[in-house]
Amino acid sequence: MRWIKVIIASLCLLAPAEYAMAQGLDALAYETIEPSRIKLGESATLRVTSFGRLKDVALPTIPGLVFEAIGRSPGFDFVNGTIIPATFILIRVTPQFAGVFSIPGLTPASRSIGLEVVKGDEPNPYTWRSQQPAPAPMPTASLPKGVQLQAGGAAFVHLAIPARPIYVGESVPVEIDVGLRPGIVTSVNGLPTLKGSDFTFNNLSKQPERREEAIEGGAFVVLTWHSALAAVKPGDFSLSAETPLTVKMSTLSTADRAVASRLAWPLLQSMYNGVAPKDMTIESSPSKLKVLPLPTEGQPENFSGAIGDFQVSSDISPASVSAGEPLTLRLHISGAGNFDRVDSTMFDHLDHWKTYPAKSSFTPSDAVGNEGEKVFEQPLIAAQPGEQSIPGLEFSYFNPNTRRYERAQTPPIKVTIAASLASGSLNALIGAQNLNGVPATGSPQGLRPDHRPPENLVSELRPLYFRVPFLAIPTTLALLLAGSWFAMRPNAARANLKAAERALAQLGAAARAGDSSSFFEAARKTLLQTFAARWQMSADQITVAELKARLGTAGEDVERLFAIADEARFSDNQPGDTDFPRWLSLIRGQLAGERE
Amino acid sequence: MRASKISMLMAALAVWAGQAIAQPSQPLYSADGLYNLANSYARAGKPGLAVLSYERAALLAPDDPDINANLAYVRASAHLSMKPRSRFARLVQTMSPTLVAWLGVLGIALVGMGLVARRVASRFLWISGGAILLGVALIALTASNAILLWPRMHEAVVLIDQTPARVSPAPMGDTAFVLREAESVTMTAEHEDFMLIRTGGGLSGWVARANLGAVVPPVGGEH
Repeated sequence: MRWIKVIIASLCLLAPAEYAMAQGLDALAYETIEPSRIKLGESATLRVTSFGRLKDVALPTIPGLVFEAIGRSPGFDFVNGTIIPATFILIRVTPQFAGVFSIPGLTPASRSIGLEVVKGDEPNPYTWRSQQPAPAPMPTASLPKGVQLQAGGAAFVHLAIPARPIYVGESVPVEIDVGLRPGIVTSVNGLPTLKGSDFTFNNLSKQPERREEAIEGGAFVVLTWHSALAAVKPGDFSLSAETPLTVKMSTLSTADRAVASRLAWPLLQSMYNGVAPKDMTIESSPSKLKVLPLPTEGQPENFSGAIGDFQVSSDISPASVSAGEPLTLRLHISGAGNFDRVDSTMFDHLDHWKTYPAKSSFTPSDAVGNEGEKVFEQPLIAAQPGEQSIPGLEFSYFNPNTRRYERAQTPPIKVTIAASLASGSLNALIGAQNLNGVPATGSPQGLRPDHRPPENLVSELRPLYFRVPFLAIPTTLALLLAGSWFAMRPNAARANLKAAERALAQLGAAARAGDSSSFFEAARKTLLQTFAARWQMSADQITVAELKARLGTAGEDVERLFAIADEARFSDNQPGDTDFPRWLSLIRGQLAGERE
Repeated sequence: MRASKISMLMAALAVWAGQAIAQPSQPLYSADGLYNLANSYARAGKPGLAVLSYERAALLAPDDPDINANLAYVRASAHLSMKPRSRFARLVQTMSPTLVAWLGVLGIALVGMGLVARRVASRFLWISGGAILLGVALIALTASNAILLWPRMHEAVVLIDQTPARVSPAPMGDTAFVLREAESVTMTAEHEDFMLIRTGGGLSGWVARANLGAVVPPVGGEH
């Protein structure tokens, strides 16, 4: 109870001060008139801005001016960067004749203001001071249908999309309008974005278009971004756009503002001054969009996905060239649509022409590249001289306006290909040679076309085998192989061993077969060759005496073997002594002596 | 041990020869590039430079039909006769000289290895005999190719029309005869700024070096 008494007492003490302040606040007012210079027949607006409880003002009486109260409205005014609630009283001022008028202050503390009225045909007396044209009056507009002000009436976003259904892959232009109240919206913190993953959002303009409009009694700066939208799948979708902003917002609640109003709010300004910047994202109202699939019926084979309304034309330059020289065939595709799907497959049917990869360039005629002209340049080279025809080029696309596939075709182009390099003298030469009965050399067909750019380059034209560094390779190789040939001498002992083994095998076979004639003949031959090699003499020079002298007692057995062999060779009788093991043992002994 | 030393020596020689062959680090020529250059000269009405470039391109790609056709065409346009190549020459020159050079090296290797094999082994003599025969054939191919190309190492093309061939290597020397542009001649000697040339018809004379383009330019310089 004691506290309640204290509060009531305090309020009673404050009441006179509050009353005095409220009376004084009526004096916190000022007046402006716009424009301050008008032509006769026009009107100016006198605005009284009051920060107190000013309910009405008395209209002055000035000869030549008619004052008419328009209305009274609450609002906000900016004072030193602070938003303060204010009351506006609007008065229309209409002059009756030209002249300079002084309008006294309508409140006790306000000062008088001036109004200059000129005749309609009178030149502007201030033009010598400024060459700048007078600013155009701000156009008045209304909010688009379905759009609502957000952020306390300080901003709005509007997404403008086509009302008709679109097709999958079709590129359609869209606009995003962001309206901002200057001073309240302090910054736009990013580009607007599209909500929804079923669309691609291409070529969003980096710098928006800017215009000022008066919307619902307030000045708005409207920023417009252009972009192209394409759907990736069919269906019914809801689309919206959003953009981040920073807005100056009052942190006072509605109840606080009501209390402040009742208690003469400037007194409590320091307590209730809660205006602060706030980051927020505002979103447009959702828009419905129907996406249709492309019809499969009637789709051309060469359809590459181009959707739009296109026109095609072609030209070639130069129109006349020599054989082997390049021509440039240009295909112009203009109109509106998804130019990124317009490719150069129409050049695939240029048979009988040597072609190189085509180049393309696109020149947009709108901000998002939905309209413009795409030009393909196809280099061509004709190998044959004469009158030639470049076939017409066909381009297929889907027209969303007619809702069917269409084909655009260019007419064939005639080109004259001349024989190159003094072809006249060549023909004369060929003709003269034919008249003489000599067949003409050279081809009358002209120069053959260029080859592709070279890949393998060499540093010298001289063939390898005429270069000294290269000749070192075969020379070195030949020397190495010759050295190897000399180094690797045949091994005589090894050769003799192999020959002896072959002879013994042959003798053994003859012994097993019981063929004594062959056995003794082969035995004699083997031994003679062995002795000849061992004694370095010819086999014919080996006599009986030689055998006895060199072999001693063993020579007698060898002599007997030779005798048996002679007997078998020169008579048809089979040798009587056919003790093959003994003779083989003897032969082995002699051959072994050779090996040792 | 001995074999490893020999192989190391061969590897070192191969590396040295490879570096020596590829010594100029800036590649200059290619058959296609020379052919395209010759076409440009031909279209520009310069048959001398065109024939020179075609001849150089033919050195690198002797069997290219485009090069031979355009060379014949330009020569015919310039009213110059062109001796047709014999069948043997066409056969031998079906491959590029570079490939033929390496085939010759392979031939030497086959002959050498065949002889060594026959020396150390008496069995499978037919294999070593076949290798020797193949090697000899490859060496013969390389030799034939080199013999056919040897004259072109000294060949030149007249670059300027009505080029005078003088009786002496002096600018004021009497003119013996006149050469036509794109005509091919054989260089036989040189003296200061003049080359002694011989035409296909057997005429000889001194021609200013600037009026000729050597088919095989000297290393490190054009013409």
